[in-house]
Amino acid sequence: MSLREKDLGKGPACTTMKSLSNYLWSDHPDEKKWADCTHCGMCLESCPTYELTGQEQHSPRGRVHLIKSVAEGKLEVNSHFMEPVFACLDCRACTTACPANVDVGGLIEEARGQIRQAMPLKGWKGAVSKVFLQGLFPHQNRLNSLGSFLRFYQKSGMQKVIRKSKLINIMPQHLVEMEAIMPEIQPSVRQKYKNENVIKAKGKTKNEVAFLTGCVMDVMFSDINDSTINVLTRNGNDVSIPQNQTCCGALHVHAGDRDTGRKLAKQNIEAFSGAEKVIVNAAGCGCMLKEYAELFREEEPEWHEKALLFSTKVEDISKYLHDTGFEKPKATINKRVTYHDACHLAHGQGVRNEPRDILLAIPGVEMVHMQNSDRCCGSAGIYNITNPEMAGAVLESKMENVPEDVEMISMGNPGCMLQMAIGVKKYGRNQKVVHTIQLLDWAYQKEDGIEGKDIWQ
Amino acid sequence: MAVKKIKTKDKHIKNLATIVGDASSILYQKVDLLAYECDGFTVYKHSPKAVVFPKNTNEVSALVKYCSDNQLPFLARGAGTGLSGGAIPLNNEVIISLVKMKKLLNVDLENRLAVVQPGYVNLKLTNSISDKGYYYAPDPSSQSCCTIGGNVAENAGGAHCLKYGVTTNHILGLEVVLPNGDIIELSENGILDVPGYDLLGLLTGSEGTLGIVTKITVRILKSPESKQTVLAYFDRVDDGSQAVSDIISAGIVPAALEMMDKTAIEAVESAAFPVGHPRDIAAVLLIEVDGIAAGIDEQINQILEVCKKRNVREVREAKDEQERASWWANRKTGFGAMGAISPDYLVQDGVIPRSKLPEVLKRIEQISQESGLRIANIFHAGDGNLHPLVLFDARIPGETDKAILAGSACLQACADVGGTITGEHGVGIEKREEMRFVFNDEEIIAQTNIREVFNPKNLLNAGKLFPTPGRCGEIKQVMKEATTVS
Ligand SMILES: Cc1cc2nc3c(=O)[nH]c(=O)nc-3n(C[C@H](O)[C@H](O)[C@H](O)COP(=O)(O)OP(=O)(O)OC[C@H]3O[C@@H](n4cnc5c(N)ncnc54)[C@H](O)[C@@H]3O)c2cc1C
Ligand code: SF4
Ligand code: SF4
Repeated sequence: MSLREKDLGKGPACTTMKSLSNYLWSDHPDEKKWADCTHCGMCLESCPTYELTGQEQHSPRGRVHLIKSVAEGKLEVNSHFMEPVFACLDCRACTTACPANVDVGGLIEEARGQIRQAMPLKGWKGAVSKVFLQGLFPHQNRLNSLGSFLRFYQKSGMQKVIRKSKLINIMPQHLVEMEAIMPEIQPSVRQKYKNENVIKAKGKTKNEVAFLTGCVMDVMFSDINDSTINVLTRNGNDVSIPQNQTCCGALHVHAGDRDTGRKLAKQNIEAFSGAEKVIVNAAGCGCMLKEYAELFREEEPEWHEKALLFSTKVEDISKYLHDTGFEKPKATINKRVTYHDACHLAHGQGVRNEPRDILLAIPGVEMVHMQNSDRCCGSAGIYNITNPEMAGAVLESKMENVPEDVEMISMGNPGCMLQMAIGVKKYGRNQKVVHTIQLLDWAYQKEDGIEGKDIWQ
Repeated sequence: MAVKKIKTKDKHIKNLATIVGDASSILYQKVDLLAYECDGFTVYKHSPKAVVFPKNTNEVSALVKYCSDNQLPFLARGAGTGLSGGAIPLNNEVIISLVKMKKLLNVDLENRLAVVQPGYVNLKLTNSISDKGYYYAPDPSSQSCCTIGGNVAENAGGAHCLKYGVTTNHILGLEVVLPNGDIIELSENGILDVPGYDLLGLLTGSEGTLGIVTKITVRILKSPESKQTVLAYFDRVDDGSQAVSDIISAGIVPAALEMMDKTAIEAVESAAFPVGHPRDIAAVLLIEVDGIAAGIDEQINQILEVCKKRNVREVREAKDEQERASWWANRKTGFGAMGAISPDYLVQDGVIPRSKLPEVLKRIEQISQESGLRIANIFHAGDGNLHPLVLFDARIPGETDKAILAGSACLQACADVGGTITGEHGVGIEKREEMRFVFNDEEIIAQTNIREVFNPKNLLNAGKLFPTPGRCGEIKQVMKEATTVS
C-alpha cells in the first residue's frame, strides 16, 4: 500500500510502511538488485548520459551507488537525488554491458517511484504529466477523439494555416519538431476491427495470437498495426484484438507513477488472460509487459504470479515471425536500408538478429551497417520533453551514425520512429523511417500487385 | 543536466570553477560527490571536496597550481576502474577528473605511434586503427572503459601482455603536470633512450603520486596476421599448471595464457557471458597464439599434445571468430561476474613463480577455509600473475575485515614463495601495508624520498602506495577509521 496523503503529516511512518532507511514508501528499490553490483565500471562507456557528461552520477554505476546510498541513509530522497535518477534515459544499454547482470533499469524505475511519492510533480511538468499520462493514454475513447482531431487538423487545411501563422512559434521547441514530422493519421485498428472477434488467417490456421495494439501507436501509427495484422494473417495466424486491453503503462512507470502502472498492468493481464501468445510491435510496450511482475514485488503480491505467467506469453512481432517461420516475399524492394536497434528491443528483450534476418529475407533490400546501432536515439518516452538538452545531444550523436547513403532506417519501436524522423528533418537528411514489419508488408503487397503506401510525406 | 550557477559560499569552489570556465565542469554537491567516494575498490570510501573536469593541459596546470598554493589535497582520476583504491579521496581531495580530455590527437602509422589525451579509453584506440591493420597491445580486462591515463598510472597489464609486455613497454612519451603546476614533456617526439634517468619508466606505474599525465604517446603494433585460441579443461589444478609450464618450456610464447579455477568458472557461467564450461572441472586454460599464419597450426598442435600429456579432460580450438570472442568475453568479464555469486568481492593481485602455482593455490584454499570466505582464482598463468578474488558480504558485520585479512594472507602466500604483491593493479590504499612483505623500512624510505623530489608537499594523492615507515599498526587503525566514517 502506498503512503496516502493524510499520513504524510504524521512524521516518519517507517515501521508500518516497510521503509528502507531513507526510502519511506513501500515498493522501494530492490536491495537484491544492487547487491549484484561490484562497482567495476564496465557499464560506463555504454551509457549515453555518461558519454555526454563524463560525470559519474550520470552513469549506471553512479546511479546504482546513489540509489543504494539512500537505503544506507547517506542521502535523502530530494531534488538533488532526483536529477541523476531522472536524467537516465532508461535505455538499458548498461544491462547489456554489465557482467553481473545488474538490473539498473529496474532500480531506476523503483527509485523514481519513491521520488514521485516524496515530491509530486508541480508546475507545467505536473500538468503535462496529468493531461497525458493520466488523462489521455489510458483512455481509448479519448485517444480516438484525439486521432479524429489530428486527422481533421491535417485534412482540413488547419495544419497549413498553423504552420504558416506565427502560432507555431509559441509552442515548445520539441512539440514544434513533433508537429513537423507527424505521420498521416489513419483510423485506429481497434476501431476498424471493433466488431470482429478474430481476424482469420489467410489460408490454413497454424497459430492463434492476440495483438496488443498500443495506445499512441494505434492513433499515430495505425498503418503499422495494419501491416502487423496483414503479416500475421498471411503467415497463418488467427489474430484477436481483445477490446478491453489498454495502454501498457511504460510511460507511467518510467515517470515514477507505479500506481497507474499497476492499474494498467492488471487490466492488460485480465484482457489477455485467454491468449496463448501476446504479440507486440512496439519494443517499449513489449519490454514493459514482460516486466509487469516487477510492479507486484511488494504491492499487491497476489498479482505477482499472474504477471510472471503473462510475461512468458509476450513476444515481439519480429522474434515471433522469425521463430515460427514466415513466407519469404517474392517481390523486390530495391532499397538500401540500415537498422537501428531500439533500446527496448536489443537491450530490453535481447532481440537483435531477428529483425535483421527479416529485412534480409526481402529480395532487393541491401543492408548497410550502422555504427553503434544499439545506442539510444534519445526518444525514451517523454524524456524529450523533460530533458530536452540531453535528449537533443543524444539524438545528434545518433544521427551522426546513420550512414549517408541509405534510403531507409528501419526499427521496431514507434517512439524511436518519431525521434528518428525528427532527427532526419532537423539534420537535413532524407531517409525514410520505417518499421521492420511495415517493410515486410510492403513487399507482400507489392507481390500481390498492391502499391505500397508511404507513411512519411 | 549539470548545475548552471555556482550555489556555494566556499571560495575555493568558486575559484576552481573559474579556472575550468563554467559551473557545469565542477561538482560540489553532496549527491554528486558521493558518486566519487570510491573507485573499483569499494572497501574504503570518502567523499571528495569537489570534482573538476579540465578540458586541456593548461587548465590542469592551473588547477594543480591553485591546489598547491592553497594547501588543498588533490588527485587525478580516470574512469575509476582502479582496483586498489588509487582514486579514492581519503583526504577529502579535490578530484581532477581527466575524462573530458578524451581525444585521439594523432595517429602516425609510419612511425607506429599514436598520441592520446589521458581520458581516452583504451579500447577506442584499437577500434579506431584496426581497419588499417594496427592495434594497441596492452589489454586490461577493463579496456572497454578504463583510460590510457589510468593505465599509465597503474602500469596496467592484460591477458596479452605475456607476449607483448605491459603498459610501460608501450609508452613512448608523456606530458606531465607536476604537483606544483609546472608542465613537463618526457621524450617529446617518441624517441626513447634519451640520455639520463629513465623518467618515463619512473612515471609509469607511479600510481598518480608524482604528477598528472596530460598527454601520452604510445606505440601501436601491426595486427597479427592470424590468431587461434584453444580451450582446455583439467580435472586437477596441478595438471593445468603443469601444462602451462610445459607450453612455455616447449619454446612457445603464447599471446595469452589464462587460467580460471572452479569457483571462478561458477561465477562466469552464472553471469552475463556464459559459454558452457563444465561446472565440475578444476581448471580451465585459455591459450591464444598469434603471428604469421604459417606457424600457427604447428604451435597449436604442440599445445594440444602438451595438454593431452597432462591428462586434459577436453581440449579444443575455437571454431570461428565468434566462438573465440565469446571465450574472451567470458574471461574478460570475470571480475564483474563475481557479482552474480557474491554481493562483494576483493580482488588480490599477487605474482608468483609459475612452478609454485599448485602450492600457492593449496595455501589459498586453506586461507579460504580458515576465514570461512570463498576465494575464486583467475590467473594470468603465463606470467604468474594470480588474482585471488575473496568473496564476501559487506552487510554482514565483520565480514569486510575478514576479507581484508584473507586478501592480505593471500599476498603473504605469494611473497613467501618468492613472488610479489602486485602484478598490475597497483598498491593504492589496499596494499600499502603489504609493501612490507617485500620491502624493508630503508627501501620504503628510499622510494618516498623520490616522491618528495616531485611531490614535496605531498598534496598529490597522499597516503597511497607506501605505508608510513615503522607505523604499520597505526595505519591499520586509520584505515579502520576510514571505513567507519564512510
Ligand atoms: C573488471 C576489471 C578488470 C580489470 N582488469 C585489469 C587487468 O586485466 N589488468 C590491469 O592492469 N588492471 C585491471 N583492472 C584495473 C584498472 O582497470 C586499471 O588499473 C586501469 O589502468 C585504471 O584506469 P582508470 O582510468 O580507471 O584509472 P582510475 O581508477 O581512475 O585511477 C587509477 C589510478 O591512476 C591515477 N590516475 C588516473 N589518471 C591519471 C592521470 N592522467 N595521471 C596521473 N595519474 C592518474 C589515479 O590517481 C589512481 O591512483 C581491472 C579493473 C576492473 C574493474
Ligand atoms: S552496474 Fe554492472 S557493470 Fe556497472 S558497476 Fe555495477 S556491476 Fe559493474
Ligand atoms: S539506462 Fe541508459 S541512460 Fe540509464 S544508466 Fe543505463 S545506460 Fe545510462
